[in-house]
Amino acid sequence: MSSQSIIVIVAIAFAIWYLSYQAGRLDRLHHRIEVTELALHGQLLRRGGIAAELAAVPGIDPALCVLWGQAAHEALILQEVSSPQRTQVEDELTNILVMTLNDPEEVNEIRCNQHASLLLDELLQVSERIKMSQQFHTDAVRDCLEIREQFLVRFFRLAGRANPPVPVDLDVQIPSALFG
Amino acid sequence: MRIGIVCPYSWDIPGGVSAHVADLAEALIRMGHYVSVLAPAEFDELLPDYVVSTGKPRAVKYNGSVARLSFGPIAARKISKWVEEGEFDVLHVHEPLAPSLSVLACWAAKGPIVATWHSSMDKSRMMLTLSKLAQTAMEKVSARIAVSEAARTTLIKHVDGDAVVIPNGVDVRAFCNAKPMFGWPGANLSIVFLGRGDEPRKGLSVLVDAYPEIRRNHPNVRLLIAGPGEPANTLKSLSREDRASVTLLGMIAPQDKASVLASGTIYVAPNTGGESFGIVLLEAMATGTPVIASNLEAFSRVLDHGRAGLTFENENSTDLAKVVSDLLADPIQRAELSVQGKSRVAEFDWSVVATRIVDVYESIRVSGVKVEPDLTGQMIGRLGRGRITPESRSD
Repeated sequence: MSSQSIIVIVAIAFAIWYLSYQAGRLDRLHHRIEVTELALHGQLLRRGGIAAELAAVPGIDPALCVLWGQAAHEALILQEVSSPQRTQVEDELTNILVMTLNDPEEVNEIRCNQHASLLLDELLQVSERIKMSQQFHTDAVRDCLEIREQFLVRFFRLAGRANPPVPVDLDVQIPSALFG
Repeated sequence: MRIGIVCPYSWDIPGGVSAHVADLAEALIRMGHYVSVLAPAEFDELLPDYVVSTGKPRAVKYNGSVARLSFGPIAARKISKWVEEGEFDVLHVHEPLAPSLSVLACWAAKGPIVATWHSSMDKSRMMLTLSKLAQTAMEKVSARIAVSEAARTTLIKHVDGDAVVIPNGVDVRAFCNAKPMFGWPGANLSIVFLGRGDEPRKGLSVLVDAYPEIRRNHPNVRLLIAGPGEPANTLKSLSREDRASVTLLGMIAPQDKASVLASGTIYVAPNTGGESFGIVLLEAMATGTPVIASNLEAFSRVLDHGRAGLTFENENSTDLAKVVSDLLADPIQRAELSVQGKSRVAEFDWSVVATRIVDVYESIRVSGVKVEPDLTGQMIGRLGRGRITPESRSD
């Protein structure tokens, strides 16, 4: 075999290896995006459950009860994991929680009920997890898009039929009076 | 939850990262989680139950000192096996850029992976270690934790993305019941200094310069110096009488640290810079000894801006002498600081810190999705993989 053909074969082998290496990277990143998105979704569901339970605590004033119950219900019955509606109902729930739980005095009053107090602790915990989850998902999306935008990756369609990932744009504010 | 933790540095030699991993693992086990730690270690029989050894580490010059690391094909095989048998819900690697088990673990596994950055690095080293291959390993990390603001700043500057800051923990139980050494402080007053006596940035000379003035105000005060390094040069400036009231302990065993800290009427940390956190301040506070520290950013933060301990102007011996003398004259304020210090340190107890780390685990994991061995990025590996669906969640 001539040396030229060896060079050609080596070059082709390298190109194949490189493309499969990039494809493997993309595959892992898509996997990471899926898992972080599901984790975020799981925490959102948990928050919905906590808010619904809060609304059902005996002795909570009826106005709060309706606000929390309604928003939690909307979030819990929605099927889609990620969609504009999902973002919308979760933002509404966040908004209502922030509005109703921003006064330390009022929160202290709610905390007189032991069950409600435990639920508020859980609500703080899950809100912090949601904030982190969203950040970690956004990190994964950014890492993935960086590779998907490379010329060779686009030219050889290494991303396959997977849609370009989109970050979940959630309002992750935590009600201020929940801290301490 | 089933948690796999990877420690890149040798388990045999006590160090910042391996101590952190040991404390974290024990705190998680107390919380009821299953934990397995993978670490290089020479002596299998001395290991706690939860540690799996990858064998004898090799001494390599790394990060300005000799580090005992583990690498090579045998280590890589052991990692794959450990990941496969562990069925972990989360894999937690420490110091992921150290050329050791952590970066190998990132290669060998996929799924929910958390990485904790301990040290801050300068840009050139970061660029060097962030070669293309290391970067690919980093891409598998879902969540990043930094132990200090300094470590986080380095990360943001040089790698894309952010990190959650979760500080080091203190094992409060190991310190809160510490008994002072025999005869200390006794009827006298005493000042404790802990740290290398011959390292300028630990600030022993600032304390020594303030000491004659302190002794003029309180003739019955004694100074206790513990730590490796020869402080003789620093002590030369003292008069014979002052020098006679100084006790040198030399290097102390880790288990004696608590009783040394408890032996002080007050603990002084005159460090002049380069501190990113200040764990020893917290340890002193846990023993109930009031703390006086230089007003470095990190120290002020730990001392809750004067509420849990006093500060003096950095490198100013005159100011240090005044703050120390005043506090030695005021037993009521000492008692108050002792109480405040103990309540402050509770926020840094491992039980609290471990709960925050579990929050990170929970924010990236999905029940039913396990950490699994990664059969490299081959095209063949992509075939036949369906979408992941969440299984029934149980919390």
